[in-house]
Amino acid sequence: MSDAWIEISDENINVEEIMQKIRERTARHADVLPSDDLDKPQVVAEALWAEMIEEPIESSIFLKGIQIRQRDCDIVPRYYVIDWRIPILGPIHAIVRRFINAEIRRYMLPALKKQSSFNRKVRRALKELDRENARLHQEIEILQQSQDIGQF
Amino acid sequence: MQVHQFHPTVSFGDAISNQILSLQSLLRRMGYRSEIFCERLPTHFEGRARHMSQYASYSSSTNVLLSHFSLGYSPAVLDWLEKVPDRKVIVYHNITPHKYFAGINDVYLEAAQAGREQLNRLSRAMEAGWGDSTFNCQELAGHGWANPQVLPIVFDPKRYAVRPDRRVLKRWRDGLNVLFVGRVSPNKRFEDIILTFYYLKRFVQPDARLFLVGAAQGMETYLEFLQALVKRLDLPDVIFTGHVSKSQLMAYYRSANVYLSMSEHEGLGVPLLESMHFGVPIVAYGAAAVPETLSGSGILIKEKNYPAVAEMIGLLVEDEELRTRIVTQQRKRLEAFLPERVEACLREMLSDLSAYGTSV
Repeated sequence: MSDAWIEISDENINVEEIMQKIRERTARHADVLPSDDLDKPQVVAEALWAEMIEEPIESSIFLKGIQIRQRDCDIVPRYYVIDWRIPILGPIHAIVRRFINAEIRRYMLPALKKQSSFNRKVRRALKELDRENARLHQEIEILQQSQDIGQF
Repeated sequence: MQVHQFHPTVSFGDAISNQILSLQSLLRRMGYRSEIFCERLPTHFEGRARHMSQYASYSSSTNVLLSHFSLGYSPAVLDWLEKVPDRKVIVYHNITPHKYFAGINDVYLEAAQAGREQLNRLSRAMEAGWGDSTFNCQELAGHGWANPQVLPIVFDPKRYAVRPDRRVLKRWRDGLNVLFVGRVSPNKRFEDIILTFYYLKRFVQPDARLFLVGAAQGMETYLEFLQALVKRLDLPDVIFTGHVSKSQLMAYYRSANVYLSMSEHEGLGVPLLESMHFGVPIVAYGAAAVPETLSGSGILIKEKNYPAVAEMIGLLVEDEELRTRIVTQQRKRLEAFLPERVEACLREMLSDLSAYGTSV
């Protein structure tokens, strides 16, 4: 933590005193803070980001030629509205349009959202299976190598 | 004498639409005829705004057209703007850098990327560039705009004279309430707010609560990540409200003890002004236009040290004198955004414009 990590531009406020208090307080909690790096919330957040957003499922032996991205899972057409501009019925057509759009959304969106959420879960499961598969392949290779050495 | 405005779409409640409506009131008060034109006209806005196809009957080379820019225009709008003979001014509200949307929303990513590229093309079609902040103006200058000027956001306290939702007030009246208001978007770094809250809850104030107020439309993947993080860190007191009504928003501000922002990209940050108005002390990470918006008020963080920020929040809640001083400074800062101040600024900018061409 640098010396001037906060800025308060009021000359009546003693920023140095505040920083000192904060230093003392954080030092008090130092013993109870997660000691293992893996338990640190920042590390948890980074790992989760990598798992859910960053890494696309690359083509592997298990998923031959298929690349499943997070964005492919979302199938909800969020920007679609039924629209027409024929000024013959005046405000009536606006009401009809509003009604149709609202009804379609009410009927379709819950199902599409559920499907998107399911897609994302499937993607996550595939990713885990893919990792597990890669690990098992590696193990098989090691076992085969050790077996080959044993035979000689 | 006419000064009209254009934006691809308008709606009730979002910051840009509020600015457009506030500017229309100011312009009309200043004696200009002023209408709002859109490419996509929402049904509930009919009567308050017109479709851009109707602009032909208003268009004139002596008019000024303020064209608001926030995400990029469609090719149809770009062509239309180039053909319109009016004196055109871009009002730049900034575009979130596209890198933030990678893996989260491709439509936003491409729109943000295209929008930034359009800034260069627009600099040739427009007469002047205005931005909500110096930060936005600097970005315009970086895209070849000569002498961009700052037209501040209008903060009209009358818009906030709404009775706060009683149920929200009653439900959350006890404990320490930390608030952040804004669309769920990765540039706002909700995960950093959650991480700070983790330390606040575990080591400073066990009865703390975090309200994350804002819609997540189009950002479902990011929202899912945030919800998974909250679950993994076992933080049941993090509340994602989704889109809220105006009266509910008022109630959240009234219930809040601290406003915490960890955002890394803001063109201005209207919720910061709202916090100033509601007397909620601000703790904010100093990135993009945030330091400029606060301009010495609130508490500006230069480093994302979560345990230390959590302690700062605890201290702010405990120390009444410190809180009062911070809130007083914030109220003073808010004055720069009041309608009368912005009106003077707008008047000057329009007269500057007329000094360089035919009279406005």
